[in-house]
Amino acid sequence: MTRASVEVQVARGDDGTVRVAGPGVGPDFTRAVLDVAGAVLTWPVLEDPVPPSAEIHDVARAQQWLWAVYGEGVAVAVQACATGELSDVRVPADMTPLAGGAARLGFGHWAARWWPASYLDGIPALQPDVLGLELVALTHECQQLFDDERDQPDDCVGELIGDHQVALDPLLQWWHATPPSTDTARRLERVLRAVDDAADSTESDGEALRRLRWSLAQPRPDSAPVAVDPVALFVRHDDYALAAGEPLVAGGRVIARGAGTNDWRRYPPGFVDAAETAVSWTARALGARRQIEVEVVAHIAAPTTSGPLLVAEVGVDGVRASRVPLARRDDVWSGRADLDLSAGETRPRIEIGVLLPGFDPGPGSEGGADRDAIRALARRRLATAAQPFASNTSAYDGSSGPFLAEIAAATTDEDY
Amino acid sequence: MPLPSQPTDARRPRAMVIDGAWRALGPDLESLSGPGGAPLTRTVKLIVLPLIVRPALHPDFAVDFLAPEPAARLDALIRESGARLVATAQWFTLLKRTRRALGVVAGHPQDLYFQRCFELAAEHGEPAAGAGALARAVVEEVADADGGRTVDALKRYLADAAQQARLEGELAVAWEGRLSVPAADTAAAVALAGEVLEACGGAEGPRNSPSYMSMVEAGHGELLGRALWVHACGVWGRGDLPAHLGLTKRQLPPRPEVGRGASTATLPAPLDRTLFERLFVVLQSSARREELPTVPELVGREVGRSCAPLGLYDESLRVAVLLGGQLAVGLDPLGIGEPAPGHTAAHRAVNSRWRREASVLRARRMTVSPRPDPDGGVLDALAQDLRTPWTAYMRRLWVRLHGRDVRDAPLVDAASAWAVLDGVARSVMMDHRARVRSALRTLSASAAPTAVPEAAVVAEAAESRSA
Repeated sequence: MTRASVEVQVARGDDGTVRVAGPGVGPDFTRAVLDVAGAVLTWPVLEDPVPPSAEIHDVARAQQWLWAVYGEGVAVAVQACATGELSDVRVPADMTPLAGGAARLGFGHWAARWWPASYLDGIPALQPDVLGLELVALTHECQQLFDDERDQPDDCVGELIGDHQVALDPLLQWWHATPPSTDTARRLERVLRAVDDAADSTESDGEALRRLRWSLAQPRPDSAPVAVDPVALFVRHDDYALAAGEPLVAGGRVIARGAGTNDWRRYPPGFVDAAETAVSWTARALGARRQIEVEVVAHIAAPTTSGPLLVAEVGVDGVRASRVPLARRDDVWSGRADLDLSAGETRPRIEIGVLLPGFDPGPGSEGGADRDAIRALARRRLATAAQPFASNTSAYDGSSGPFLAEIAAATTDEDY
Repeated sequence: MPLPSQPTDARRPRAMVIDGAWRALGPDLESLSGPGGAPLTRTVKLIVLPLIVRPALHPDFAVDFLAPEPAARLDALIRESGARLVATAQWFTLLKRTRRALGVVAGHPQDLYFQRCFELAAEHGEPAAGAGALARAVVEEVADADGGRTVDALKRYLADAAQQARLEGELAVAWEGRLSVPAADTAAAVALAGEVLEACGGAEGPRNSPSYMSMVEAGHGELLGRALWVHACGVWGRGDLPAHLGLTKRQLPPRPEVGRGASTATLPAPLDRTLFERLFVVLQSSARREELPTVPELVGREVGRSCAPLGLYDESLRVAVLLGGQLAVGLDPLGIGEPAPGHTAAHRAVNSRWRREASVLRARRMTVSPRPDPDGGVLDALAQDLRTPWTAYMRRLWVRLHGRDVRDAPLVDAASAWAVLDGVARSVMMDHRARVRSALRTLSASAAPTAVPEAAVVAEAAESRSA
């Protein structure tokens, strides 16, 4: 089952952990991670598929899957490092089917958290329930990576089914409406059967699951498929229109305006449009008062709220001064506050960041270039997903090719 | 550097040998296999290892890597079991279908039936005429195996007013009869706990510290329990921490009441729980309830237990509370603390696990601000819990130890104590992640700040399962 081979470094750390090192990794939002039995696996999402890096804290448990992910040579090397026979060694790793499946599962979890959905950039959101059900299927296909110790949060088939089973009926409809010879139909069937199988070996139950089981047991309806718009099947309430919104009655004289920083790490997914230009500010003079108004374009599926939730952090001339609470108003989060500017200050240097209090891990390193690379990745993947017959090579190894949620997003008719 | 040996002539991963032998048995094992054809993790754990490989009988199979000769024997052993495994797979499919038809939903079918199917396969071969009735009998028998050890039975038993009054009287007598000797100094006990923890969690794996058994013999756990009754301070080497570390919400643990109801979402601190609440957790979560004492016995023994030091009978389990307390006060889940004196190898092991978790949570965009944030709402409350990690830790630990006490399962050496302490640390981590997930979901769904369901409490119900 060896398809290709690359060298990895296996080394033992001071604390007894054994590391299988792949390539170096960048900021948090460029790392796909997976908690598996006895280890954490990591992939850089911006690079070509490679064997993952692994931080192995329980070698005995990891030996259940190490050979199947990296091949026998790495499993032997890890054992030798664990027993102290070796401290550091380079060995060839195989690209195995399980490594491919694990990488895809890791990427799916990444996409659920960091997909750069943006109206401004024209990158549609991924429907969370469709993605969630595909993660059920992938988790089930990667079952060798998990064991019974209940300390692997990613061994979560039951939770995922519970959270996302609303998409089961629409997925069935989509499958029935898709010509059976297509790659998309095969993907749909594969996901649906895996969800059924996974539900069968957990304690999951429910109407939608019973309908799924019943449907899969029937011969496929052979009436000519009626074309459906997959997006329409999953629409929840994404009636998003970038209305200008009524301007805040601010008045006064604009003395400066500019763009802020949109650091994805400082708020959870689903709140802010991922575009670099989503955060902007305007400073005004009203008599002797100086006022700043911050506008942040909301994520396509952002919660509607009356009260403040996100805040803007306003820094003036290098001093992090104050927080401005932001409230959702149509398609923007906005807020206004007095600005403490010395009289005669005409060109203040203003820095704005947006964050969710209590969530914000603190300002991180500049990540603009990496964010651009992520956007480019998303566009590339959507372009591939828009051509259903182009990626016919991988229908059954599951390790590459677009996710169903990407196919649905890429074929959307909405005016992005 | 070259590898010491090439895979072809030397030891091979046991898991790989099992996988190879399994696949060679062909496609008829579908219901015991994963989508790729490998045996399910549970198939290996519940059937292949304990019933076929049987490492206890074959010590040369009890390792992760096998030399060529044992590997060949193991391969042969599994292949010889082929026919029986195929029959097992068919029985499992039949039992699952029967279970569905009978509307049984409780429990995990693989956990419940795998071993039974292997037995059925030995006795009857593949399911034949009459198999349907047999399957039905097995499913019903497994479903009824709790022998009336249920929350409902407990409720009925305690509903009787005379019963309530009798138990209240017994509790009053037992509580008054506690040894009221002033607690001796706990400093020596805490110092020994540090030694035991130093021997745990090292890079070489846990070493068995003899100090553990001497703590049990000296009754150091009981000492701690008595210190709680007089509200000793400074037990943990920090004046700001009460001796009870959150095991009670009051200054002193109150006399337990009998109680007649419980809700998983609102369980009080362990030592504030009623008799009913303590047993409710045990009955609700136990996987093998048939092994528990009957309900009247459970209640009778809980009267004495709840008035014993730390609410536990067994001294080794009380010592585990002391070890857990000493571990928990030195934990630093947010990675902000200074390395403090008294930190042991066990602390380093758990704190490095928290660092790994923090890195995963950043990559999964599930952070909480490490610094207190007055605007932080629910998420700040979760971070606050991480700043006082002993409360969640002790709560989890107590439930697990109580589950063992009920089942008469002492911790016989330091290594088994460490397995529990480490497992609790992992559970607390899982709870934190579940609560962050739930808080973020609530925030995204409706921006109105609502209370987060206490995942920790819900998860606690699953606790004594692993006891």
